[in-house]
Amino acid sequence: MLAPSGFLMFFVILVPLALAFYISVIDLDQYTIQHWLKAPFVGLQNYVEAINDTSLLHAVRLSVSQALLVSLITMPIGIAAALATQNAFRGRAVVRSVFLVPYILPAFVVATVWRTMMHPQGLLDHVVGSVGIDVGLWLNGPTSFWSLVLVQSWSSWPFYYLLVLAGLQSVDKEVHEASALDGALWWTKLRYVVLPYLRGSILLALVISFLHNVNAFTLPYVLFGVPAPHDVEVLPVLTYVTSFQSFRFGLSAAMAVVSLALVVVPLFLYLRAVRLDSGEDRVRR
Amino acid sequence: MKARNAMGALAGIAVVGLALAGCSGSDSPASSSSPAGSATAAKIDGTGKTVHVMIAANGLYPEQQKTWFGEVSDKFKAETGATVEFETFASANDELTKIQTSVLSGQGPDVYSLGTTFTPTAYATGAFMTLGDAEWAQVGGRDKFVPSTLGISGPDEKNEIAVPFASRPFVMAYNKDLLAAAGITDLPTTWDELTDDAKKLTTGDVHGLAIGYADGFDPWKFIWGMSIQAGNPILNLEDGKAQIDVDPTQTAYQTYFDWYSKDKVVDPAALGWKNAQAVAAFADGKAGFVPMVSATSRVTLDKSAVAGKYAYALMPTVPPGMTTNPGDGKPATSIISGDNMVVAKYSKNQDLALALINMLTSTENQTSYNKTFGDLPTNQEAATAIQTGDELLKPVLESSAGAIGTPFSGAWGDTQLALTNVVVQALPALQAGGVSESDLKAALQTAQSTAQASLDKAK
Repeated sequence: MLAPSGFLMFFVILVPLALAFYISVIDLDQYTIQHWLKAPFVGLQNYVEAINDTSLLHAVRLSVSQALLVSLITMPIGIAAALATQNAFRGRAVVRSVFLVPYILPAFVVATVWRTMMHPQGLLDHVVGSVGIDVGLWLNGPTSFWSLVLVQSWSSWPFYYLLVLAGLQSVDKEVHEASALDGALWWTKLRYVVLPYLRGSILLALVISFLHNVNAFTLPYVLFGVPAPHDVEVLPVLTYVTSFQSFRFGLSAAMAVVSLALVVVPLFLYLRAVRLDSGEDRVRR
Repeated sequence: MKARNAMGALAGIAVVGLALAGCSGSDSPASSSSPAGSATAAKIDGTGKTVHVMIAANGLYPEQQKTWFGEVSDKFKAETGATVEFETFASANDELTKIQTSVLSGQGPDVYSLGTTFTPTAYATGAFMTLGDAEWAQVGGRDKFVPSTLGISGPDEKNEIAVPFASRPFVMAYNKDLLAAAGITDLPTTWDELTDDAKKLTTGDVHGLAIGYADGFDPWKFIWGMSIQAGNPILNLEDGKAQIDVDPTQTAYQTYFDWYSKDKVVDPAALGWKNAQAVAAFADGKAGFVPMVSATSRVTLDKSAVAGKYAYALMPTVPPGMTTNPGDGKPATSIISGDNMVVAKYSKNQDLALALINMLTSTENQTSYNKTFGDLPTNQEAATAIQTGDELLKPVLESSAGAIGTPFSGAWGDTQLALTNVVVQALPALQAGGVSESDLKAALQTAQSTAQASLDKAK
């Protein structure tokens, strides 16, 4: 029974991973791609160049801080939306559908629409200008980082909503009834009864959201274009430009490996969470 | 146990690696080409064969492009018995990925249509067949083409890989009514004159120039153009030196920035514009000039508020701060812009591929392609016919004749990115009032380092 999954794991995960590692230690570029097996072995030189001569560390800082911020900002929004639509009310199906719109829209559509709104003298400038605020450029300079956080949050908060909504289904009806009989107020009920049930779902959503946001490419690429402004030159965009505009495939593979290292810790946490949630573990417990 | 598993995995990877290496094929063409001049498209028997062509998807005319694919295949079948299958790519990234996988596996499209500025990168891969006398004869000979369009076919005449297929030289469009109202009778031929005229045209919500400062490509085209007009080719391939942090290029950037911050001849919103939005502002009658447009802008402009009120003109060919080109300056009207066609070395249908290119670059097909898609012919006869028959396109064809190729080096991709990056990173300062000389110098030094590092790697 292990054979099919082992086969898949070998060809879908291990082989590409091994190739990525291999490419990261050779000088593969537009000049050597035709004879890639003969490309000069350069050891860790690509890694050294990536760290010393490119904006890799800056990109890592940006990616991690952006992903963390978005994951934390969207958490309460998603939880609140799920709680608000838990109980049946007239029009709930419509509200639940509308909540999913940001999530199901393709990232390039989201980015294109927001880009239009964020143009100089665009809709957002008019809105904030009407209350006397001038933020300068939304899509370049220091504000652009917060623009990225805003748009990424807008498009990804329904992910929490979905997972929390699923988690809410696991709260036993009797628990609600018991807390109501005990006279618990909504906050007390939420804090001490519902949220403990949701802890697993929320933590899982946090980890996946972080991974998703660290690796987000399409949204920043379409929103800011390339070359990216310094404040939003996130890791996936930097890797893309290095590979497809500078044609330094070896160097970009080294960057990709670094980004892999970046997601390994949350990935490990995620895999551990999934394993702990499995039926096998429940039996063991 | 773990060690044994790891060894097994490594052995597996090695096997896969060898298998891939086996697939990668050899450098030599899979089939030999015909002797010089012995083959023409009509004489080749391609019955039962298929020529695969990779070409950019045409966003402006998607339906017409599909129809054109069918027509080409039918016509080629009638001539040779072979069919043509087209595959489209949406971006240079898609195309590069396809080239990579094809080069590695030794199979894929027989013919690629490449953007002109991407041709040096394609050449650097060594994956495309070199066109000797025999191959040029098979596509109708070099004399068949507008001479300037051959300027980016290879590093020199003996090492050409690309056949010019479509020409999209850059010009500027101007609003005849606005210019007349401002009393401008002579079109500017220097960048300083253009700036002066733009000042006269700027009034109310109408601006002298429409510039796409946030475009991913326009900025480097302006900077390269002004620089080479002043004698600086940006990359000096003979000496292997990048020349970005030098006076002519600094002046070019300063002029480009001053339009916004000092001369105030562009819309404040232009900091967020791409080329299409600059054209849209001109189409609304809100700008006197829109530089760096190709003939394809005609599609938009003929349906706009300026229909019948605009014309094309050459962009200035004298660099900023000067009244004539210096001794080593070249009066470049545009970069050589458009599409080239190349044949893959691994192709087993090289003769058929060349016959197809011969057919596509014939006078008849080039004329019809121009009528359908707006791109100018690279075929000299077709280009001459258009020049005599279409007054509006005359300056565009003049621009094609005066266009100069960007440096033919694999380092150009990085260099144009570095040139554009200077503008991208300067936009916040520009909005805040202007880019200081020291900041500009620092940015140029960064771009210089990037370009030099890339040039040092060039082979």
